[in-house]
Amino acid sequence: MAYVITEACIDAADKACREECPVDCIYEGDRMLYIHPDECVDCGKCVTACPNGAIASEYKLTAELEQFKDVAVEFFETFPHAEGGAEDIGPLGADHPVVASWPSGGAAG
Amino acid sequence: MTLLDDSTPETTTRELTVLGACPQDCPDTCAMVVTVRDGVAVDVAGSKEQPYTNGGLCVKVDNYLDKVYHPDRVLYPLRRTGPKGAGEFERITWDEAIAEIAARFTQVKEEHGPEAIMPVSYLGTQGIINGLNVGDPFFNRLGATVAERTYCDSGSCTAYAMTIGDTAGVDPESLVHSRFILIWAANIMSTNLHLWPYIAEAKKRGAKVVVVDPVRTKTARQASQHIPIRPGTDGALALAMMHVIIDEGLTDDEYIANHTIGYDELVERVQQYTPEWASQETGIQVETIRTLAREYATSQPSVIRIGVAVERHAGGGQTVRTLSCLPALVGAWRNPGGGILQLPLWAFPVNWPAFMHPELQTPGTQVVNQYLLGQALTGELELRTPLHALMVYNSNPVVVAPDQARLLEGLSREDLFTVVSEHFITDTARYADIVLPATTQLEQEDIMFSWGHLYATYNNPSIEPRGEAVPNTELFRRLAAAMGFDDDPIFTRTDEQMIAEAFDWSAPAMEGITVASLKEKGWARLNVPSPDEYAPHREGNFRTPSGKTEFLSSAAAGGNFVVPLFRQGSNDHQPGQPVDPLPHYIPPRETTSADPDLAARYPLNLISPKSHAFINSSYANIEFHQKVQKPATLIINPDDAAERGIENGAVVRAFNDRGSVELLAKVDASTMPGVTVCYVGHWRSDSLGLATLSSLNPTRFADLGNAPTFSDTLIEVAPVGAGEA
Repeated sequence: MAYVITEACIDAADKACREECPVDCIYEGDRMLYIHPDECVDCGKCVTACPNGAIASEYKLTAELEQFKDVAVEFFETFPHAEGGAEDIGPLGADHPVVASWPSGGAAG
Repeated sequence: MTLLDDSTPETTTRELTVLGACPQDCPDTCAMVVTVRDGVAVDVAGSKEQPYTNGGLCVKVDNYLDKVYHPDRVLYPLRRTGPKGAGEFERITWDEAIAEIAARFTQVKEEHGPEAIMPVSYLGTQGIINGLNVGDPFFNRLGATVAERTYCDSGSCTAYAMTIGDTAGVDPESLVHSRFILIWAANIMSTNLHLWPYIAEAKKRGAKVVVVDPVRTKTARQASQHIPIRPGTDGALALAMMHVIIDEGLTDDEYIANHTIGYDELVERVQQYTPEWASQETGIQVETIRTLAREYATSQPSVIRIGVAVERHAGGGQTVRTLSCLPALVGAWRNPGGGILQLPLWAFPVNWPAFMHPELQTPGTQVVNQYLLGQALTGELELRTPLHALMVYNSNPVVVAPDQARLLEGLSREDLFTVVSEHFITDTARYADIVLPATTQLEQEDIMFSWGHLYATYNNPSIEPRGEAVPNTELFRRLAAAMGFDDDPIFTRTDEQMIAEAFDWSAPAMEGITVASLKEKGWARLNVPSPDEYAPHREGNFRTPSGKTEFLSSAAAGGNFVVPLFRQGSNDHQPGQPVDPLPHYIPPRETTSADPDLAARYPLNLISPKSHAFINSSYANIEFHQKVQKPATLIINPDDAAERGIENGAVVRAFNDRGSVELLAKVDASTMPGVTVCYVGHWRSDSLGLATLSSLNPTRFADLGNAPTFSDTLIEVAPVGAGEA
């Protein structure tokens, strides 16, 4: 676990972070991107790349965004083949239930 | 660099951007961009312009401001008021501190001779003016004991120099052209992160990436193949690769004929190193060894990336000798992206003599290796002149040197006068008589080489020094003046004058680069061919006496040596043991075959890789970094844990005849059976049982360059309260 993508990414569709990630560990769900907790190397490049301010260190999350830590862990438990580089895997076409049921228009975008 | 506009009215916010350089002892030497608002640094980021930094830092330095503005920073000179080790100090003035140090050094010199004083330092900062050699002229003139500092790559450098000379080797940016990348004992994701995008690009273009490492690191997980290997047996694998390559006719005979010496002798030598034999030593399947050798030889250009860990066992030097021979055997040097990547530092024409000033040394002065500091202080190491004063800067030996218990015993000596220049009250500073406040990189000016890429970097200061902190250069100017050395202009040089001397600016590598251009732009690529064209040894031109890759090393005739850069420029009292001129296998000392009695009592290997969030012991006291790194942990394979009744998360005791350490167990199959792992850097004061893993490490040297043998360590592990507690 390291950096975490949160609410502000939902439906925002910006993928600037993926360009910046040196280890290609940011995977594409349906409505949001997810950082692989075991592959992230904590470099923080995605934080400054994100125009929506959606990414933070797991240790610097606000209380209401804490749940996105579990979202990331559970997402990759659901899609165990999503490892070894996001580019090869491509869009997964699905989200964690918390994200899937997130009200549309509720996020930055 | 955006300069402050003095005409800006006082009432508006004044923001400026300053181009700096990461100071840490890491191959990546990032170009940093510091944002300063009203004199306060508010952000530190990686340069987007410098290609290798590529807009990002790392977990250690992204949060550099946590360190710069940490409430625990030492901001004023301090004098000890309590017992040694208690960490009780009172504030004193700089004048008082310098006067006391000068008086005590003079007294020690008069009573015991100047050799009774010893500097203790390494690369807490690796700026050319404030780093490795900043104290060398002072101690050389003083006549102090010469400190041999072989923490990192010294054995590797001796071996590499014996084989191909002090060449830069492969440009890391050329790795995009490599077809086969062999990462040997290096966790790139944690210790060389900015290299990874080049490897990833090569992989995308079809290259195979193989990691040889006892641990399934993040790097190993991202590779095409991970080959786990028993610690300290790397030389066996490399020699068996040679055996297969020669046996199966996969050599580049034309390259060998034109650009190497000693091939016939090598052929004879490696006959004994069969894959079957190597399999027994390394724990790697015979077929895996054969396939590795074939793919390495036939996928050209192939490159070997070694880190600093590969030297850290009894035969570490010969391991690097063998690995440095391999590229010539298969003609890897013919193309960009082929060869070996060890220390591109050698590409930089650093003006070392201007910083070491070895001519100031008294010939024959005693040399003490810092790994033996504990023994030197307690009398176990026989010295012509026993030590009575230490000056520690850029280093925290209590954590980074082996033999912790003995070192603490030595540092506790009431008759020992110890000065420590530091950012924090480290485990070592707690034993100081005088603590001096040192600046961080934001508060000082410097100019940087790199040992991981081909860019020179300039560090413009971005904020005023905090409190009364001073750069190391200023510390030694003050001390030199107090000792009366300021009759020599060497000791009154300003930082600006030193920076002007940093490189041989007339060298071809510096063509088109000046102090002014570096200061302005922040960085510059050395004047070498582009990464798409850089093949420095296409036509041989190795920096050896023969100009060739020396399978049969002529330098070996002079015996074992430490590159003088690692010993204040001194060539006196070199280790000098005879060295077999051909690559050969030296097994680890702490194994069942070499020492069955020891292995029966302590059956588990311990390796101590570099941490992800700390760099050596730096940042290990910063809260954010501690959260990322987690408390000191012993990773143990599930089989080994089950055998000992150890559960995940339990407190365990790791011990051997040298010491005992309490750690949290992490039961995890990422390490091979029989191998335990503890990442280095946690402070003793934050550790269970007030001991860190350096208590368990041996002080014996590897075969070449007095390299450490951290990975040549056997231990036993028991749940706390059980076993021999």
